[in-house]
Amino acid sequence: MDQLFLLELEDIVGVDGVVRDQAELITYESDGLVSHRSRPGVAVLPETAEQVQGVVRLCHRSGVPFVARGQGTGLSAGALPHPKGVLIVMTRMNRVLDIDLANRRITVEPGVMNLDVTRRVSGDGYYYAPDPSSQSICSIGGNFAENSGGAHCLKYGFTVHHVLGAEAVLPDGEIVHLGGDALDSPGLDLLGVLVGSEGTLAVVTKVTLGLLRCPESVRTLLAAFDSTDSAGNAVSDIISAGIIPAAIEMMDRTTIRAAEAAVHPGFPDAEAVLIVELDGSETEVAALFEQIETVCSQNKGWGVQVARDEEQRGRIWMGRKAAFAAMGRITPSYYVQDGVIPRSTLPEVLRRIRELEQDSGLTIGNVFHAGDGNLHPLVCYDDGVEGQAELAERVASEILSYCLDVGGSLTGEHGIGADKACHMPKMFSENDLATMQLVRTAFDPGQLCNPDKLFPTPRLCGEVPGPYRPHPVEAAGLAERL
Amino acid sequence: MADVTLSLGTLVTEIDSLVGSKVARVGTDGDSIDAILPTVVAEPTRASSVGQILGWASGRGVSVSVRGGGTKSGWGGPSGPIDVLLSTRAMNRVEVHRYSDLTATVQAGATLSKTNAVLAEHRQWLPLDPHNDEQATIGGIVATNDSGPRRHRHGAPRDLIIGMTLARVDGVIAKSGGIVVKNVAGYDLARLLTGSFGCLGVILSATFKLAPVAEASRTVLVELPKVDVCARYTADLIAHASTPTALEVSVPQGTMLVRFESVETVVISEATRAAALAEKAGATATVLVGDDELEAWRTHQAQVFVEGHTIVKLTVMPSELVSTLTWLEEEVRVRRLDYGLIGRVGLGVCYLRLQGAIAEQVSLILALRDRLPVGRGSAVIRQSNLELKKLIDTWGPIGDGFRIMRAVKQQFDPTGMLNPSHGPGGL
Repeated sequence: MDQLFLLELEDIVGVDGVVRDQAELITYESDGLVSHRSRPGVAVLPETAEQVQGVVRLCHRSGVPFVARGQGTGLSAGALPHPKGVLIVMTRMNRVLDIDLANRRITVEPGVMNLDVTRRVSGDGYYYAPDPSSQSICSIGGNFAENSGGAHCLKYGFTVHHVLGAEAVLPDGEIVHLGGDALDSPGLDLLGVLVGSEGTLAVVTKVTLGLLRCPESVRTLLAAFDSTDSAGNAVSDIISAGIIPAAIEMMDRTTIRAAEAAVHPGFPDAEAVLIVELDGSETEVAALFEQIETVCSQNKGWGVQVARDEEQRGRIWMGRKAAFAAMGRITPSYYVQDGVIPRSTLPEVLRRIRELEQDSGLTIGNVFHAGDGNLHPLVCYDDGVEGQAELAERVASEILSYCLDVGGSLTGEHGIGADKACHMPKMFSENDLATMQLVRTAFDPGQLCNPDKLFPTPRLCGEVPGPYRPHPVEAAGLAERL
Repeated sequence: MADVTLSLGTLVTEIDSLVGSKVARVGTDGDSIDAILPTVVAEPTRASSVGQILGWASGRGVSVSVRGGGTKSGWGGPSGPIDVLLSTRAMNRVEVHRYSDLTATVQAGATLSKTNAVLAEHRQWLPLDPHNDEQATIGGIVATNDSGPRRHRHGAPRDLIIGMTLARVDGVIAKSGGIVVKNVAGYDLARLLTGSFGCLGVILSATFKLAPVAEASRTVLVELPKVDVCARYTADLIAHASTPTALEVSVPQGTMLVRFESVETVVISEATRAAALAEKAGATATVLVGDDELEAWRTHQAQVFVEGHTIVKLTVMPSELVSTLTWLEEEVRVRRLDYGLIGRVGLGVCYLRLQGAIAEQVSLILALRDRLPVGRGSAVIRQSNLELKKLIDTWGPIGDGFRIMRAVKQQFDPTGMLNPSHGPGGL
């Protein structure tokens, strides 16, 4: 990168806030989706909004692309750096700025971890609802960019339902405040668009979040089923009965086995398990819990475990939340998808996935937010076997097309990023995408803010990226990727 | 705005021939908005016709305003000239009710009450209860992000919308979101258009997540000895993790309504506990059910929603609600204004009715705005007579985000032909 430009960056964030060393920059080559890699031109670690503003202004003036990154746990290559650009690493902006329990709000910098928000207020009986599985290692800035969900969004919604206000640096370097501490600030709901815009419209420097009062009662049930069909039908029946649990999660045999091997949650040996959690007042939870037990037994559920205490509840959730990481126990590599389907089509789509599993010869594990219809099929493959990575990617794409066939979505919470940008035309028409581009153009006419993400471009989609090959430094054991 | 050489007949004929059927007519007095008579009223039956009319209007340099049930035509800033008033009322179906998925897609011109009557066949509803649901349409409710007391539990339209089909001013029809409840693919244009007062595009249909209709309901009517008991009582409810679907205050009546909806045993036990907490806080409480309950809610809404009076939407920090109410009581007294206010206690969202000398109303609204720094509250005029509208800005300060809002409007509607000066901040 241009030396003068680098010196100016050092003026803004200090010498220790600029990472120029090529070996050090390897750290930032990818986010959680390691099959996409690109080393940034330079990385900066600002500590204040003014420093972010300074960096963005400089990029704007110099026509240099920039990408904001938090903890890098995203799964869509949304924080993939631009090789000729600046990576703005937000991890040093990790202060909790204000806790206002009287109004059930907390204001944080984007580098604060999701789980830390809850930790800061749980002693007073409050919590922050969105709970992505990575909540102990992912930061609020990334949650904001991706509109993260989690197991409990069935009842409580996503990040967008809990963000009240934000301070953001626009791509021209201006700082704006959208939303606010009070609800319904007059004006267009740009906050509603900014959340989930995958860092393509602005760099967020401060976020005010709403907190919820911890429920009086929480009850968690785990039930086993002899087929994913029966488990899927139980999910439909729960929803049809007019019950909105806090969470309904499903795991199949493959993912149960992986979770057992990794964290021993004590799941039964079954084709599928459902985890259903109810929360609310004592009387409400008690009344609805009975109905859920009935629905499960009507659908031939067995081995019902009801968490006796917080410890057992924690173990059940640990089994579920560890499922992704646990897959390493049973497969060298896996490709995860994030498609969404209407809940009622669950049995149909699961059947198609099983057929695909047989046809392709690749094991496909399924762990998903069943209540929302958000699937996380895990396509297992072995890097060492020639062609299997490519096959896995094709199989994963095929699953996405099943989701779209039944009116679903490419992504429920991981985002489009660089990974699925080329799939966007399967879900949206040219006119739909052009209309979204109007928003992009209003915010970022120069297209410098996280370019080549979310929207398909010829540069991005004209060529199909090959599978990941280890860097020689990595192969020699001199550096690690994660 | 329209070319002066255009005659009324020409406009009507042009629209009809464009669409291929009789959809346009000359505007009459009943169509007036803010005393502005629309030149032509068009009521197409198909989404594609809306696109055609908008595309044509863009080419012609003709301004278009949108109307559903007409219940909110007077909201927003004063209208500019209206060449074409586009009515959505002929597009009024519940397109699909996916009851197994708890979602529905509804055309913009369907009224909320009709929509909910259809959804009730499967014991579901679109959980919004804004004023005037008999006449208010889905398009208008979404365009203004309007909601009612049960926002406390279910949220506002922006929290329930999962997809939208819209027509752009150049006639292009586009969609955003989809039919699934969880979806982060692409920009959320549905949320952008929600609350945009129709200034970015014409909402053709919207898809929502729904809620089951609760089996039972109870409302606790709380009579407060003093308004500050409201704060203490609310804190008690929160501390006990009470889960009402609505939590309202009404002044100067000095009453609160706390509603519970669930299965019978639950609502009885929750209402009993909420009533006991009210008594403990020094208030009197009555648990209402059936017709008494409905009547209490009707009375509550009637404190504010009065034809011909000024209505201000007031938002404050929930912790500042009671001090605002106390301040207000004194300020209306010295200005000799008649007033009523109902508010969502847990959210800090209130509706204030004013009647009396216009100059005094203006002075009160300005004083309110002085109390509310940007981001910590707002006082937006919803309904008022034209005289007041001309004396005071409808929206109040918007803050430093306005610049980018203007840029978005510029992209969606470069010539400002759609709902001119009617969008937030006069966009």
